[in-house]
Formats: sequence, structure tokens, C-alpha cells
Amino acid sequence: MAEMWISMGPQHPMTHGLWTLKVKVDGETIVDADPELGYLHRSVEKMGERRKYFMNTTLTDRLCYASSTTWTHCYVNSVEELMKVEVPQRAKYIRTIMLELQRLASHLMWAGAYMPDLGHITGALYFWRDRELFLNLLEAPSGSRLLYNYIRIGGVKRDLPDGFEAKTERVMKLFEQRLDEYADLFENSKIFRMRTEDVGKFTASQAQNLGITGPNLRGCGTKFDLRKHDAYEIYDEVDWDIQTREAGPGYGDCFSRYMVRIDEMKESVRIIRDCFKKMPAGPTLASQIPVRAQGEAFRRTEDSRGEALMYVVGDGSDRPYRWKIKSPMFTTISACPHYLKGYKVADIPAIMGSIDICIGETDK
Amino acid sequence: MEITSFKQKLSSCKGVTDVSVIRDNVVKLNLGNKESKDFFIKLREDYGFEHCSLITAIDNQPEFELVYHFSAINGSIFVKDSPSAVMVEVHVFLERDTPTIESISDLWGGANWHEREAFDMMGIYFIGHPDLRRVLLPEGFAGHPLRKDYVYEIHEEEW
Repeated sequence: MAEMWISMGPQHPMTHGLWTLKVKVDGETIVDADPELGYLHRSVEKMGERRKYFMNTTLTDRLCYASSTTWTHCYVNSVEELMKVEVPQRAKYIRTIMLELQRLASHLMWAGAYMPDLGHITGALYFWRDRELFLNLLEAPSGSRLLYNYIRIGGVKRDLPDGFEAKTERVMKLFEQRLDEYADLFENSKIFRMRTEDVGKFTASQAQNLGITGPNLRGCGTKFDLRKHDAYEIYDEVDWDIQTREAGPGYGDCFSRYMVRIDEMKESVRIIRDCFKKMPAGPTLASQIPVRAQGEAFRRTEDSRGEALMYVVGDGSDRPYRWKIKSPMFTTISACPHYLKGYKVADIPAIMGSIDICIGETDK
Repeated sequence: MEITSFKQKLSSCKGVTDVSVIRDNVVKLNLGNKESKDFFIKLREDYGFEHCSLITAIDNQPEFELVYHFSAINGSIFVKDSPSAVMVEVHVFLERDTPTIESISDLWGGANWHEREAFDMMGIYFIGHPDLRRVLLPEGFAGHPLRKDYVYEIHEEEW
């Protein structure tokens, strides 16, 4: 049969954002793919060069609407490295709590978007119902539901409100019960496993070379998490473990990526509990925050989707001279011909859904 | 290999100058453009830097600067008594009239689109790149907008 190109997107239920995936098919089998980006390009890096350092947190919030705190945190962290700002201990704990709440909300957003991709609409309703509880928690200290602008250079905007710990504990307890329910609904569902097992496989060495990071890399057995391997905030002081799927018959496929994210959510709950236990009292914002910066610095953090890195160059003025954003999804999407080849057209939503695409950060 | 002995090994490589440890797990160095490919092959094959994190292009006026970040995911280079993964930050300077350098996308698959982005935004040409097209801006866009001399329209708001 003759080979032909099919264009999926920029408006397609599979894409989760505006981008085009061109696939070359031979009958039902994918032989090549060519992803195209740029539909959502807002020139964030160029805009950042015209704004002052502290103004850019509004831009970084908008890099990814599903995980805005982690992006703002990555930017703030690298600017603090550049300006050599010392963050108060309590602010570090509050940041960690907010980052983990954001990771929970982001993973739930992903799980809720992934289920309809596989024809499981019920899953969307269940996961998004739970996400709403975490959004309420994020709203309590920051005042908004999606774009928080809560983490500032030198600390956080304000202290946690009264009763936040009890409220969080109530939500997390409910959430843990629900996760057990979902294990019956999804992990033990034959249809879900047929759609995801042995689909979209890649090995650890392939993934490392192609620049795939985060839960997608841990899904194929590599124990690599920047919260441990380039520890920031207080991740080296709290008690938690890196979640991977061990090498075996079913590792590196869509199901293992699903399981890694579910296990990571359980770890996030553990981190938040430990943070509340160890959190000291004190100020939440550094007393002296410089406006100008000279030199260059970078920090990388574990975003919900993988390795986020921001490289900031200052020329002594109050605006960054150059500001570069590394998005984990940018490289993961670029590698998609490698893990789509050989599978059927009907597997595309299952595979591309499982890597958790966010086009806002990818297109910048 | 421990990071301090790794730093010493790097200083003896061809084309490498100004090697320093800027954070407990980050080594920074400058590299000559001509020797870049040989050095990158060595970095991957001998020292096990499996992951190319980022390629940044900076317009320093007049010259361009490329900053490469590589990461040792499997712990072939390590920091003593610390789980931190070691990174290498490589600075390469390019002339403004001929902003060309050899592509490394055959060594690291993940570098492919970073190089395309540097071409798209800053107009750096990567020799031997399999598919050097614009990635974020549309085909047929004129100029490279992240260059400092790029002229763009500024709409002054009147309110």
C-alpha cells in the first residue's frame, strides 16, 4: 500500500493545545512523524528582556496554566542565584508545599485529560473533581485559581492563612482514599491496560539521549529526579523516595508512565505532611532584595513534566540581558518520531497523551 | 570520577580554557570553536554525559556566545558524599560575520531542536544539522528576533 502523510492538528482532540503532528502511514502503521510547533509562540524570552526582574513572574506564570507555580519558582530560583539572595527558611518550606500541591494539581489535570483520550470519560470527571480540591488549597494563600504569582524573588507573597494545615490534611486524607478507588477503576481495568500496555515504548538509554526527562524518563527505570539530584529548597531535608518503574517486561510504556505519576502523587502527599511537621516560624520574605544584577546564573528544577532550566544573564541593569527557558516538553515532543514509529494510528492519542504535553511552555 | 579530578582532566583537553567549579556540582569552561566537536565527542563517549539539557545563544554584541549545558544522569561523574548530578557548562564564542559551529545533534538527539531554536531566534548556523529549519516562527519570517540589533515595531500606548 502507498505511504501517505496525515496531518493531525492544530485543532485535534489528541494535541492538547495548538500544534500539528504530521504522521506518515503505511496502511495503519506509522512509519514517520514530523511535529510542528509555533502556533502559541508569544516571545516570552524577548518580552522578558524589556521588563524588570520582578515583573517577569507574571510571564512565567503563564508559561503553563496547568503548572504555573513550578515555572515561576524556576525563574525566581535562578534570579536568586544570580542576585545571591538568601531566602528565609520558612519561605522555603512554604514554597515546597506550594510546589507539591501544584504537582498534584498538574498530575491530576493530566490524568483527567488522558482518560478521555482513551475513551474513558468517567476518568476525566473523577480526576478533575479531585483537582478542584487542590486548586482550592492553592487559592487560599495566593488568591487565584490558576495563575498564582505567589512565589516572589526573596520568598513568598504572604504567609499561609490560618487553618491551612488542617484543611490540607483533610483534602489529602480524602484524596488517598480516592486513589485506592481509582486503582480498581483504572489499573485493574482490562480495557485501560489493553490500550496502554506495550504501547509507546522507549528504553532508558534512548530517552536520555533524546532529552526526555521527568516522569517519562522515570517510567523507563532511570532513577533521576532533580529534587534529589540537584536539590533545591528543602527537598534534601524531608523524607521521600524517587518513584520509578523497574526494568521488566512492561516498563517504558504508557502504563508505566501512568503508574509513575500516580506513585508520585502519593509521594507529594508524603512531602507535604513532612513539611508541615518540620516547618519553622519566621519571616517569609527576605529583607533586602536587590533590583539590579550582574553576571550569569542558572538553576534547574523538577517541573511536573521534567527538567526545567532557566539561564539568566544580567548586564548590571534592572532587566535581564538574556533569559533562556528550557522546557522539558520541547525536547520530548521533538523525540516523538522515535517512539511513534511502528505503532498504529489509533495508538497516537494513547502515546502522545501519556507524555503529558503542555504547549504553553513548549512554544514559549 | 570525582568532580575535582574531572576538572583537572578537562583542563588538559584541546581548546579548553578557564575551567572552574561554579557550584558544588557545576563545572564551567570556555571552548574554542574549531575544537568543539572533538571535545563534545569526548564528553559523551569518555565521561558519560548522556543528556544535553540546553543550548543557549546569546548576542553579546559584537560576537555571539553559545552556552551548552550537559548533565551526567547515570552518575559517571559525581560529587563526594552528595547525590547531586554533575553538569558541565560550555561557552563557545562565535564571530558575528560567520556564526557557524558544528552540529552535535548526531551525538545527542535532544540537541536537535535546541539547535533549530538557536538558528530560528539568533541565526546561528549548525554545520551538519539534518534539518535546520525554523521551529517556532513561521517559514518565511525575515530576521532573527532575539538578536539585539533586530528592529521591531514598538507600539507606544497613549494612555
